[in-house]
Amino acid sequence: MKAPDGRQTAASARTLGLTAAKTTREAFADVPRFLRLKLALLGGAFRRSPWQVVGLVIASLYGIGMMALLVGGLVAARFVPDVASVRSIVIVVGAAVTTGFLLLPLVFGVDDTLDPRKFALFGIPTDRLAVGLAAGSILSVPAIVLAVCALATVVTWSHGFWLAVLALISAVLATATSVLAARVATAVAGFLLDTRRARELTGVVGVLLVVLISPLVLSLSNVDWGARGFSIMTVLADILRWSPMGAAWAVPADTAVGRGGAAALELLIAIAMLAALWLAWRALVAHMLVTPSRSGEVKTYAGLGWFSVMPATPWGAVAARSLSYWGRDARYWVSLVMIPVIPVIILTAFAVVHAIPGTYPALLPLPIMVLFLGWAAHNDVAYDGTAIWLHVVAGTTGLADRIGRLVPLLFIGIPLIVVGTAVSVYFYGDAHVALALVGVTVCELFVGLGLSSVTSTLTPYPVPKPGDSPFAQPQSVGAAAAVVQGFSLVVIIVLSAPAIVFGVLGVFVDPAWFVSSLWAGLVVGVLALVGGVVGGAAIFNRRGPQMLDAAVKAA
Amino acid sequence: MSSLPETPPEDGPQANPVSPVEPAEEKPASAAKKPAAPRARKPRQTTARAPRSTAASKSGGTSSRSSSSGATAAKPRTTRAPRAPRAKAAPKSKPTPPEPVPEPKPTALGIRQLYKRFGGTIALDGVSIDVPEGSFYGIVGPNGAGKTTMLSIVSGLLRPDSGEVVVHDVDVWKQPEHAKRLIGVLPDRLRLFDRLTGAQFLFYCGTLRGLDAGTVKARVNDLVAAFGLEAAVGRLVADYSAGMTKKIALAAALIHSPRVLVLDEPFESVDPVSAANITEILQKYVAAGGTVVLSSHSMDLIQRICDRVAIIVAGVVLDSGTADEVRGQKTLEERFVELAGGRKAAEGLEWLHSFSE
Repeated sequence: MKAPDGRQTAASARTLGLTAAKTTREAFADVPRFLRLKLALLGGAFRRSPWQVVGLVIASLYGIGMMALLVGGLVAARFVPDVASVRSIVIVVGAAVTTGFLLLPLVFGVDDTLDPRKFALFGIPTDRLAVGLAAGSILSVPAIVLAVCALATVVTWSHGFWLAVLALISAVLATATSVLAARVATAVAGFLLDTRRARELTGVVGVLLVVLISPLVLSLSNVDWGARGFSIMTVLADILRWSPMGAAWAVPADTAVGRGGAAALELLIAIAMLAALWLAWRALVAHMLVTPSRSGEVKTYAGLGWFSVMPATPWGAVAARSLSYWGRDARYWVSLVMIPVIPVIILTAFAVVHAIPGTYPALLPLPIMVLFLGWAAHNDVAYDGTAIWLHVVAGTTGLADRIGRLVPLLFIGIPLIVVGTAVSVYFYGDAHVALALVGVTVCELFVGLGLSSVTSTLTPYPVPKPGDSPFAQPQSVGAAAAVVQGFSLVVIIVLSAPAIVFGVLGVFVDPAWFVSSLWAGLVVGVLALVGGVVGGAAIFNRRGPQMLDAAVKAA
Repeated sequence: MSSLPETPPEDGPQANPVSPVEPAEEKPASAAKKPAAPRARKPRQTTARAPRSTAASKSGGTSSRSSSSGATAAKPRTTRAPRAPRAKAAPKSKPTPPEPVPEPKPTALGIRQLYKRFGGTIALDGVSIDVPEGSFYGIVGPNGAGKTTMLSIVSGLLRPDSGEVVVHDVDVWKQPEHAKRLIGVLPDRLRLFDRLTGAQFLFYCGTLRGLDAGTVKARVNDLVAAFGLEAAVGRLVADYSAGMTKKIALAAALIHSPRVLVLDEPFESVDPVSAANITEILQKYVAAGGTVVLSSHSMDLIQRICDRVAIIVAGVVLDSGTADEVRGQKTLEERFVELAGGRKAAEGLEWLHSFSE
C-alpha cells in the first residue's frame, strides 16, 4: 500500500493540481464496486431459509411503515405554524439518532461485514478502501431510513429556496456524520473489543445500560408532558445544537427561526465534526490494515471454584459447571437481564396510568420475575454448543445432567422467592397474601424447571456461540426458536393457572382461598418438576447423538 | 511453548520414579494414577487372556483394577517399554510361566460392517476393522474418507445406519453405559467446556466418569505434569492455544483409565516436543495392554508409532493389517498415495510460474 502512495507523491511534485484531482478520482474509483458488494451481501440475507425470509420481509415492512410515518410527520411539520417547536423536536430527535449511530455498535458489538481487515490482502490503497467502505455502509437498512428521513427535513424547512438548499446541505451532512460515526464506532468496537473477554463485556455494558436507563425512563415518565413538554424540549435543543451530534440538524432549524449567526457557527461545527470523523476513519482503516487482531491478557483462577463446593458426583459436577457458566458466560446473563427490570417497568406503567388503585400492583412483579426465571433454562443444552459430546461420551445419565443444570436456577430462584415475597407483602400490607405468592411463584419456578428439562434436550435451537457477543445473531435461526419460546411460556402459565386463580380469588373474594393457592401451587409444581426431570432424563439418555448433531449443525 | 523447556527433563523423572514412589504411598488404590493406571491394568489382562474374552468383558469397571494389581506381572509385550513395568513388578515378581507369543490376541475393538450415509453421500460403505488388544492402530485416509465418521460411531457420538461396534465384547450401541466406561475419546473439531479452567475441566471430566474426588484430584495432578500443563491449569481453556487445547482434551480422555483410546487427529497442531511426549505416554499405555486407535494425516508418524494400520478411502477399507504387511517394500506414504488414487499431475497452472509484479 505504501508503494503506490510514494509513487504518487513523486508524481505530484511535477503536476500538482492535476494529480490532486486524479487522486480524488482514484479514491472514488472503487465506490461502485463496494456498493455492489454491499448490495450482494444484503441480497444474501434473502437466500436463507424460508422462515428467515419471512422474518426479514416482516421486518422490512415494519421499517418501511415506520419510515413512511416519520416522513409524513416531517412533511406535515412544514405546515405547522409553531416553527420554534418543530425546531426543538428536530434538533433533539436528530441528535439522539446520530448519537445512537455512534453508540449502538459500541454497546452491541455489531458483526461488521465490511471490516477493513477483511480487505487487507487485496492490496487496495488506503484512501480508496476508506472511501469505498464508507460509501458501502450507506446501503444498510438503518442508514437508508436515516437518509430518507434526513431528506424529508428538506421539505420541513422549505420555507424559502435558500433555506431549502441549506437544509439539503445539512441533511447530507447529518447523514454522512451518522453513517461515518457508525463506521468509526464499529471499527473501534471490532478493533478494541476483539478479544473474547471484551466481546463478552459488551454484553455486561448492555445490561448495565438497560438498568441505568430505567430510572431515567421512570423520571421522564413523571414529567407532565402536556404542560411542560415543549419548554423541556426547547432547553434540550438549545444545549444539543452546539453538540457535534446535533449541529447539522440545527443549521436549517435555527435559520428558520431567524438565528442566522448561530446557524453559521453550527454549520462550522457540523463540517468540523464530519472532517474529524473522516480523518479518524481513514486513520483507523490505515491502522487496521497493518494490525492483526490482538489477543488480550489472560486471567488466572486459583482452585476449583464451584467444583469444590458441590459434591463430587456426576450431578454435582454438572451443577458446578453450570454455576461456573452462569457466572462467567455473558450469554446466560442476557436471559436474566429482564428480571431486575420487570418491577421497574411495571411500577412505572402503573404510576403513569394510575389504572389500578391501592396497593395491588405490589403483588405483580414477583410472579412475573419468577415466570421468566423458570423459563430461562429452556434451551440450556444449546448453550454448550458441541461441547455436549463430553456428556455423551462419558455416558452421563440423563438424571445427573438434568438435575445439575437446574441447580443454578434454584440457587437464584429460592432466595428470590423468599426475599420477593417479603418485599411484596411489606408493600401490599397483608401478610396472608404470602401464602398465595409462595404458591404461585414456586409453581412457576418448578413447572419452568421441569419443562426446561424436557425442552432443552428435545428441542434445542441455535444460540450465539460460546465466546461471541451475547447479542450476536446465530448463523441460522429457524421458526423453531419462536415456537419453543412461546410454547414453554404458555405451558408454564397454564400449569400455574390454578394457583394464580386461587390467589386472585383470595385477594378479591375471600382470603381463605390463599391456602388453596399455596397447595395447588406446591402440588402442581412438584409434580411437574419431578415428571419433567424424569421424562427429560429418559429423553436425554436416548438423544445423545441427536443433540450433538443439532449442536454441530448450529455451529 | 511453555512445555518446550519443561517437558524433556520432567519426562524422565516422571516416567521412572513414579512407579517406585507409588507403593510408598501405602494406599493401593492410588495405583490408579495416570502413568501407573494402564500398567496396573495389565495384569488383569494377562489373566483375562487365558479364559479369553469372557473375563475381559467382565472386568470392564475401572474399580476392579487395583485389587488384582501386582498379582501377575511378567508379560511378553513388555519389550516396548521394559523399564516402567519391570520397576513395579520386580518386588512382587511371581513366577508366571511366559505365555507363547504367537497366540492371537483377543479383539479390543471390533468394527463390523458399518454403514452411514448423510443425505446423498455415503460416508461409510461397509467398514470392518478388527483391532487386537494391545495394538497401536493407525487409521489413515484422504480428506473426507470417513475417518472421523467412523471414530464418532465408535465413540458413541454418531449412530450408524447399520453395523456394530464391539469394545471388549461390549456392544457400543446396545450397552452404551458399559461400553463408554471402557473407551476414552478425543474427538476432532468439537468444542470443550472451555469456560472452565484447565484444572476444572479435567476435574469435571473425571467426576462425570464417576470417579471420587480424591482419585480425580490425584489423577489431574499426574496428567497435568505428564502433559506439561502446569502453567496453564489456572487459565480458562478458551484462552489456550490450539495445541494446548488438544493436550488437555487428550488428558481428559485418559482420566478414567479406559481400556481403549479413540483419538481423532491427536497430534494436529501439537508442537514436536509435546508430540514426542504424548507418543511416549501412549506407547507406555499400549505396552501395558491398552489399545490405541488414532487417525492422522502424518504418514511418517503413523509408520513410526503404529504397529497396525488401516487405509480408508471413500468409506471403504482398502487395506488393513500390521504396518509392515500394509506397506510392503514401500513407505506407508507411497502405499497410501497408490491406494488413494494416485496424485494429480499439476498441469494447467503454467500461469502460476510467470509471476506478476
